[in-house]
Amino acid sequence: MPHEKLLDRLWLLLVALTLGGAWIGEAAEPGLAVTIVISLTMAFKGRMVVDHFMELKSANRTLRSLMRGFFYVIPAVTVLTTLFGDWLARLTTL
Amino acid sequence: MPARIRRDGRALNEEYYVSQTALSSPEAPAEGRIPGNKGIWAGILSEMTEFALLFGVYFIARAHYPEVFREGPARLSTLAGTLNTVMMISGSYFVAKAVHAIRQNRQQSCLRWLLLVLLAACGYLLIKALEFRWNLGHGITGGMNLFFTVYYYLTFTHMVHVVWGMMGLMWVMVRTRSGAYSPQDHDGLEAFASYWHATDLAWLVIFPLLYVLH
Repeated sequence: MPHEKLLDRLWLLLVALTLGGAWIGEAAEPGLAVTIVISLTMAFKGRMVVDHFMELKSANRTLRSLMRGFFYVIPAVTVLTTLFGDWLARLTTL
Repeated sequence: MPARIRRDGRALNEEYYVSQTALSSPEAPAEGRIPGNKGIWAGILSEMTEFALLFGVYFIARAHYPEVFREGPARLSTLAGTLNTVMMISGSYFVAKAVHAIRQNRQQSCLRWLLLVLLAACGYLLIKALEFRWNLGHGITGGMNLFFTVYYYLTFTHMVHVVWGMMGLMWVMVRTRSGAYSPQDHDGLEAFASYWHATDLAWLVIFPLLYVLH
């Protein structure tokens, strides 16, 4: 797909995912499943911006790894905080 | 390709544009290059580290006060958060289009896309101002509880980065208008674009953590 067309479609997709995320936040019952969906959406949106808007998909490997890594770690910690919040609280209690 | 050149972003950039000019179809950057310049990436990685630390504070605070963090997002304006996300994503998209336009030597088109970035940034600031006023009208202050303390810290910090980006944006608009960028040489525009995308990325985490995740 030409780069320009890819940008157009990604923009529409990212906006649609944002609206979907807002709907989930308003309508869905909080829980682990919702947290996972929200985290996966966060990871996907970040990856798309890093790879295609920022053009790191084929750029310097270190920069690509660092920026992609950010969107592996933060969504994963989001889910882990939901699952093991008590443990994290104990670990960080002075 | 020798490893020495592969590690040198500028050398790769020049090689890329020579080859792309020959093809007359600048579609994708060359393998291994550094978008913009190394200086802006030092700034971007510092910015991402700063936000990573703030997100760390968010997760620890959430672990200690789960109820407060479950109830907090419901008191915020989801509409404001959603509209600001659309502004940030759109701004990022407009910047990408501006870079694409300059690679095709379409300076006026590039300038129009940058103007749209400026409008998106102004829209973001306007929505933020209205949101903060709405918050105060509903008695939401940073001292209410830890969720709102983290909320104000994160959103203010992000807003400051947007304002810095707007200064850079106005600079590259002036440079574009004066014909400083060409398909062969637009590192400055790419550097700004990379910074703006990074600011968008920070918001793509802030939005779900503060407005969506109950």
